[in-house]
Amino acid sequence: MVLIVNTTSDTSITGRIKEAAGKDAGLDVVEAAGLKISHCIGCNFCWLKTPGECSIKDDYEIILRKIVHADQLWVISDTALGFLDHKGKNIYDRILPIATMYLKFSGDQMRHVRRYDQITDIGIIYRGEPDREYLERWNSRAALNFGSRSLGVFSADEVKEAVSCMC
Amino acid sequence: MHVLIINGSPRVKQFSNTDKILAGFTQGMCENGTTFEQYEVSDRKQWDDIRRAYYANSNILIALPLYVECIPGLLMEFLETLSPRNDGARIAYILQSGFAEGIQLRCGEAYLEKLTGYLGCEYAGTLVKGDNFSIRFFEGEQRERITGPYTEMGREYAAGAGFDTDKCRAFTGFEVMPAYLRLILGIVFRTVGRTMFRKIAQSWGCTKPLDYRPYQ
Repeated sequence: MVLIVNTTSDTSITGRIKEAAGKDAGLDVVEAAGLKISHCIGCNFCWLKTPGECSIKDDYEIILRKIVHADQLWVISDTALGFLDHKGKNIYDRILPIATMYLKFSGDQMRHVRRYDQITDIGIIYRGEPDREYLERWNSRAALNFGSRSLGVFSADEVKEAVSCMC
Repeated sequence: MHVLIINGSPRVKQFSNTDKILAGFTQGMCENGTTFEQYEVSDRKQWDDIRRAYYANSNILIALPLYVECIPGLLMEFLETLSPRNDGARIAYILQSGFAEGIQLRCGEAYLEKLTGYLGCEYAGTLVKGDNFSIRFFEGEQRERITGPYTEMGREYAAGAGFDTDKCRAFTGFEVMPAYLRLILGIVFRTVGRTMFRKIAQSWGCTKPLDYRPYQ
């Protein structure tokens, strides 16, 4: 399943994705602009008090429940200061419950042990003018934290290219 | 010198590892007359005051934990409300993380340099250090062992060169752990480490295994 989380108010982007991907693409689209999604508060409860569950009871739980079954997660985000804006970044920060507190080495670096067997690769579709080279580097690093790989970084004008990477 | 310190951690001050690091850091920074004012991004009621202080000060220090390889979403939300300075103000950063190796923080560090440009300020370097996860679990001497070394870095910062010094670069420690240490720690992680985390979890009232899968 391909999960698409659109944090922007522009629903035409997901419309174009659906059109380009076709009916049988297995897309699950969450229009998150109207949802109540807080930032991560760093309480670590999802690791040490209520394992796998976020202490913030808001609409992010809808997304979290889907991520653990998704082959791919695409975050559609506005940009600010050369990077994802806070709404886009919050989607990443709040993924923490899919990792456990337990640690291991993966290659030569520490990682958290994954909570679920499912591996979810991650891609970005952005609006605005970020530092794209940096965003590509960052998304590759972010994916490492989830034991997955980056699907790439595309502007909202490159929906067809992004769809070609959707399984 | 007067320094505006912004604690960019989204965790409330009482439990903020970044705040404990700043306590050690400012102790050294103030030894020779440097003064500071500190604000917490985690407290939205302070945001107006932080903005006022941001535009009024030319020496700014933002301390933050690494969240998914970059800055926390809440700090990003605050920074989005600022306008570029373009008046020579300098920003330095303390970037800290739970993972111990320097390499884990380099992607975040690279963004902080870029961010400074977007804010129209001059980059005064980033003090990069990992292995800080346990600060909140410790008190007294055990905590001091982690936060104490930041006092020397405070002295270094107050000397005026920001964090672009050999001492500050060396403070990070190893970029990647040597193979023998990874081997030993790998065993510790699978044994004693897991027991330690389970004990902490029990003390927090956790009743489930730490690898519990609520949404399976």
